[in-house]
Amino acid sequence: MIVAIATLPLEMKRLPIAAIVLLLVSCDHGLEPPPSVEPGFGGTVNFEKGTWPPADSIVNLWVFASQVYPLDSAKIFAGLFSNPPTVYLYPALDKNLPLFVDSVSYKFNLPPGRYEYVGVLQRIANDLNVRSLKVVGMFGTNDSPPFPIPVIVSAFNFVPKVDIKVNFHKPPPAPF
Amino acid sequence: MRELRIHITLLTCWSIVAFGQSRQGTIAGTVKDAETRQPVVGANVTLRGSFIGAATDAKGTFRLARIPVGSHAVIVSMLGYQRETVEGVTVVPDEVRTLDISVRPVPLQSEPVIITASRREQSLQEVPVSVATVTARMIAERNNITLDDALRYVPGVNMLADQVNIRGSSGYSRGIGSRVLVLLDGLPYITGDTGEINWETIPMFEVDRLEVVKGAGSALYGSSALGGVINVITRETPSTPELRFRAFSGLYDKPRYLEWDWSSKPRFNSGVVVSYSGRSNSLSYRVSVGRTVDESFRENDTYHRWNFFTKLKYDISSTQSLTIAGNYLDRTHGNYFWWKSLTEATRPAESQVNGLVTSRRGNVSLAYKEFLSDKFFYTLKGIYFGNFWRDDSAGRVNNVSASHLFNIDFQATYDINRYNVLTFGVAMNYDRVSANLFGTHPGAGAAAYAQDEIAVTSGLKVTAGLRFDWQKVSVLKSTAQVNPKLGLVYIPDKETSLRASFGSGFRYPAIGELYIESSTNVSSIVVLPNPDLKVETSFSYEVGVNRSFGQMMSIDLALFSNDFGNLIEPSVRIKSYRPYPSSPVEVTGPVIQFDNVTKARIQGLETVIRVEWWKRFFSTDVGYTYTWPRDLADNTVLKFRPRHIVYTAGTFSWDQFRVLADFRYLSRIERIDENLVRLAPIVHGEQRVAIKLVDIHTSYDLIGLGLPIRAGFNINNLLNYSYVELLGNLGPVRTYFLTLEGMF
Repeated sequence: MIVAIATLPLEMKRLPIAAIVLLLVSCDHGLEPPPSVEPGFGGTVNFEKGTWPPADSIVNLWVFASQVYPLDSAKIFAGLFSNPPTVYLYPALDKNLPLFVDSVSYKFNLPPGRYEYVGVLQRIANDLNVRSLKVVGMFGTNDSPPFPIPVIVSAFNFVPKVDIKVNFHKPPPAPF
Repeated sequence: MRELRIHITLLTCWSIVAFGQSRQGTIAGTVKDAETRQPVVGANVTLRGSFIGAATDAKGTFRLARIPVGSHAVIVSMLGYQRETVEGVTVVPDEVRTLDISVRPVPLQSEPVIITASRREQSLQEVPVSVATVTARMIAERNNITLDDALRYVPGVNMLADQVNIRGSSGYSRGIGSRVLVLLDGLPYITGDTGEINWETIPMFEVDRLEVVKGAGSALYGSSALGGVINVITRETPSTPELRFRAFSGLYDKPRYLEWDWSSKPRFNSGVVVSYSGRSNSLSYRVSVGRTVDESFRENDTYHRWNFFTKLKYDISSTQSLTIAGNYLDRTHGNYFWWKSLTEATRPAESQVNGLVTSRRGNVSLAYKEFLSDKFFYTLKGIYFGNFWRDDSAGRVNNVSASHLFNIDFQATYDINRYNVLTFGVAMNYDRVSANLFGTHPGAGAAAYAQDEIAVTSGLKVTAGLRFDWQKVSVLKSTAQVNPKLGLVYIPDKETSLRASFGSGFRYPAIGELYIESSTNVSSIVVLPNPDLKVETSFSYEVGVNRSFGQMMSIDLALFSNDFGNLIEPSVRIKSYRPYPSSPVEVTGPVIQFDNVTKARIQGLETVIRVEWWKRFFSTDVGYTYTWPRDLADNTVLKFRPRHIVYTAGTFSWDQFRVLADFRYLSRIERIDENLVRLAPIVHGEQRVAIKLVDIHTSYDLIGLGLPIRAGFNINNLLNYSYVELLGNLGPVRTYFLTLEGMF
């Protein structure tokens, strides 16, 4: 290529040289591995002993993070499948938190944003209606009744100690 | 009516006359480059006013047998050379008339021959739609191993992994249902089960050229031609024996980042193809065998391929020929769907670590061609395309599919007079799919089409066509489609061509889209069938101009608008369903289902500029495509479409040395399918950048040293740029290739 350019008339040399320079300057390296810290939050879910319900009433059990509050079951599914989503589930839609344990630590990676309502969601029946989803734990204040504490996740930041207490007999007041 | 009767009578008589001709001779000779005196290989030699012709072989020789006695004109055409006509070639009975024809090289070639746009040979200037060609030389120089590789350099075309987009037509539908029709020697080459294109089965070493028609083409080709048509034209069998080979060995460079360097061993991509052709009296043949092993730069992404190809042509008489071709692929490859995460971008997600896909795909085609006169010929073609694949995970078979597809096409071309060329035909297809994902379903269809090209004045040509299609799939109600086309070409002078066209397209839903059903797919969400899917439709409009400025420069500019309706896409919804067929109860939850979800409009412009800076020494090609893709349902940008595509190429030739440098730029895809990222899930699947790639291809022709061999050295992705074409799929890292190609 250098030979080709060298043999061109002077006025014609400028164009390919300019093109090559432009090309090399314009090229960054593209994608790169993300920083080692992935955005999200984590902590421990503590289950009150002796409150676990029968196994057949737990179809799913998730940690959830919603950018909207209050929330009803229609908004949950709308939020899960909206583009971009406003509701996220941990560990995944088709997976569960460990059942019948005293506590479980979790690490929930999700996009940066302000999550107004974070807690534990139980799906109690296959049918989907307002009674099949139940918030059984909430990251909230110690007030009575408690209020949800927003979790703010920024880029390259992982928020620790988002601990949630779950008492299946005394769930937090459902906002739906 | 009276004229029609005359034509029918003439048609009947012509066949009798054709068979009655016994006073025949032969024209043979060589075609050489007027400047270098080297033989010109692959030049088209035809008899004016007829469809009789041949291509020159490795020695530049040709032979036109059984030519009626009398005076004829012989036309020689070849990309890169000025068209040459030898007048007054007198043929006498049972004698060979020898010609030594010299053709002058021209730096700027603006008139390649196109056959796909109108199902017959035309010069590019006469075609009312935008068409791009990729020649065998370009494929060899770039060492394109599969067809999709070759298409990545065509202006207005971009690939999303294995799915092709022409001017943004396709988007990405997760591998099911192609909105671009691929033809193999004029016959549909879409798989019967998922309606997709299988690029690797195309015998690249045997490709003569690719023609890419941009815009809807269902008025001639039927289903799937919504966004365009790609015709793969294989080489003719030569008139003299020849042995050809191509061997290459590629080495992947290390990925740019240590986190992605998963393999301690160097990774290679190598292959060899050998082809032998011969002739025995009226029978000519070509046989080729290819073996490629791609170790890949990614884990569990290796490819092992065997390719077999054969083509036999029997010249029954000077007016009749029969061609039989067969093609077979045996392939095993790792089941790499997407990365583990951007942190480990060269490793597959956990669920795919031990996955393996084995496939056997093959086709047999038959083409009978007969000239009933020098103005009328017909072809009868048929193809069987069989696809068998299965995927295993850790020794357990997950999915198995077998599909059989038959296509038959009868086409006649009648050069009625100097003002009208009529093309008409009928086509039929039958397919049968048997797969655990899709069930067992038959499908059948039939079509009839006609097109008239009318020369209104010496410079103005109008093309009008219509096609009727009928299709029935399994137990579903049959559907019918009528697709028109209209084209206009005005050539005010030798260097200018103005064009305008309208065409419509459609696509029947693939059996995979109608019947896919799975509770164990990769995303763990239940997939339900949807037999109520409607036919996708499209309307394409285009105006364009092609202008040459002497031998120095040519510009092609097109403005286009494409409307799409009933686009089928997989969508997620909450639905009540039975978890298994005999289940007494229904459950409610999220499901994936193919559905007619949207309508869209894609408008834009495309320009292709070629400049010959120095005669046969240095040239540049620049193609720029701007698209404005809109989802009319929610007034947003369509998913998976880049707005800007720029392809540039600079070619330097000096004696036997040649350097080709490519730069490709595709702007960042603005909108993706977030649900695919979330539900799969693809960790960091939303990560994407603009694509900026530089490739360098060098070659040296050893013919000057008396060896008919060309040696090449290529560097793909010179700058080792990291990018994705499709979510979670890192593009190839910098790769060094050594190539050798020879012909004896």
